[in-house]
Amino acid sequence: MIRPSCEETRLLRHRDLSHNYFSLTFGPYTRAKECRPGSFIHVRLPHTDVYFRRAMSVAAIDPKKKEIEIIFKVFGRGTTLLSQFSKDQSIDILGPLGVPFALPKKNERVIMVAGGVGFPPLMYLATDMVARGYDPKKIEFFYGGRSEGDIIERTRIKKLGVNLHVATDDGSAGVKGLVTKPVEKFLQEHGDENLRMYGCGPEAMLKATNDLGIKYQTAGQLSLEAPMPCGIGVCLGCVVKTTAGEYVRVCVEGPVFNIGEVQL
Amino acid sequence: MTPDIRVSIAGVDFVNPLMTASGCCGYGEELANVFPLSKLGALVTKSITQKPRMGHRPPRTAETASGMLNAIGLANVGIDAFLTDKLPWLETQPTKVIVNVAGSSIKEYVDVSARLADSPRVDMIELNISCPNVDKGGIEFGVDPVMTEKCVSEVRAVFKRPIIAKLGPNVTDITAIARAAEAGGANALAIMNSAFGTSADIETWRPRLTNNRGGLTGPAIKPMALLMVDVVYRSGVKLPIIGIGGIATWQDVVEFMLFGATAVQIGTHLFVEPDSPVKIATGLKAYMKRRKLATVADLVGKVQRW
Repeated sequence: MIRPSCEETRLLRHRDLSHNYFSLTFGPYTRAKECRPGSFIHVRLPHTDVYFRRAMSVAAIDPKKKEIEIIFKVFGRGTTLLSQFSKDQSIDILGPLGVPFALPKKNERVIMVAGGVGFPPLMYLATDMVARGYDPKKIEFFYGGRSEGDIIERTRIKKLGVNLHVATDDGSAGVKGLVTKPVEKFLQEHGDENLRMYGCGPEAMLKATNDLGIKYQTAGQLSLEAPMPCGIGVCLGCVVKTTAGEYVRVCVEGPVFNIGEVQL
Repeated sequence: MTPDIRVSIAGVDFVNPLMTASGCCGYGEELANVFPLSKLGALVTKSITQKPRMGHRPPRTAETASGMLNAIGLANVGIDAFLTDKLPWLETQPTKVIVNVAGSSIKEYVDVSARLADSPRVDMIELNISCPNVDKGGIEFGVDPVMTEKCVSEVRAVFKRPIIAKLGPNVTDITAIARAAEAGGANALAIMNSAFGTSADIETWRPRLTNNRGGLTGPAIKPMALLMVDVVYRSGVKLPIIGIGGIATWQDVVEFMLFGATAVQIGTHLFVEPDSPVKIATGLKAYMKRRKLATVADLVGKVQRW
């Protein structure tokens, strides 16, 4: 098992991705190479009114340069402060944390369902898979958001060579409607193939993806988000109920769970 | 001269005055992944009850200004699983082990404590008679001096090693409860448990915790905890005090000791800085060196009043 540690690192690059989305790259971070798609880090903000660390999924790493990138949307005070970080400012990272995604089999066609700010771990998974020699044409990347502004880093995803399908609630980008609609259509059309699904996004989207996985008997994994004071499994604040009725910790037993494993 | 940060409470020696607070370190294993537990004076486990408890429905934690609200609901594996699955690992750890005991009846406190009495590796037990987050039990034994004394004395009859009574601030007069714990046979006091608090989401109009209210912890409650320690220390109660409440730095530890704490427990801050005990121990030694203090015990109760 990976032992997490606290490490002081600093901000190398700050990118405003517009529409309140930001990309921050930190380094040198000695544990970068131990992060996997689905891993997360817990960052500490040096402000007393923001007491807890903030859990951030890893969007990309550069193991050689020991760099780690996170992408987030500003929602509240914590993410606002994080978005205001300036170059060279130091930050304390606790990590790497969480159980990462299990890679698919080589003969499987992969469906990724990303909703809004849930896209970074899936972008990392797709990037990692392509780097490992998986055929990008066998990756269907479904990306949904409220409107065009929520569909960020499109060029970066396209560059991977994966099949990108965009859906927005208002139709300002891609097809109009929930992203799970085209996912279901795809499942109906390709149900006889070896498929594997991965999902990360808002609760309703995760629930719909989970339901689709069960309905179409498609195995896969979902990455969950939960209020998470400690990130290392001691506070029991981030629990979620399994279908068997037990509580499991999103930070340690997750954040990645198999489709059908937890109650959504 | 190397400063001596060892402390002794009720005949038990600790390598330093730093303990984890119950509920903030699980059963120790997760924390041991972050730093060696030999750096701790003692590990205080989660509250153990007779039967396993799942705890309250999430959300059961919420952030506040300089603190946290929680209503975990004493989620724990229960005494059977604790003895078979958790204690054997704890027995291998180079730190003192204090098991926190909770119950919804005095009989439950007694039964759980009696089971722990069989394991000599349990150096002390800490009676959680002040948990604000369960419907039944916990706090009702710690708000009434008669019940406090009864609970402690009945546990005393079955557990011969040192007993810590953990008191809460949600009372009219904490010194009355402290005296009752002393009369019941407690060997030390842990002051304080979390304070009552609540918070609501102004968009959903719902409380942030499904339990509707919870215990407030973190730096937000430190001044309250210091006052509680101070009041009990000066009350004539002879028991050593273990200070708890918002401790995050070595400066906080010094402050608690000045007001009368012999040792301290680090709670919520372990969530924010899990390796903080290591940093605190280093800072404490440096401070003692600078102030030419031979032993950390020289700080206890030395606050200079106006």
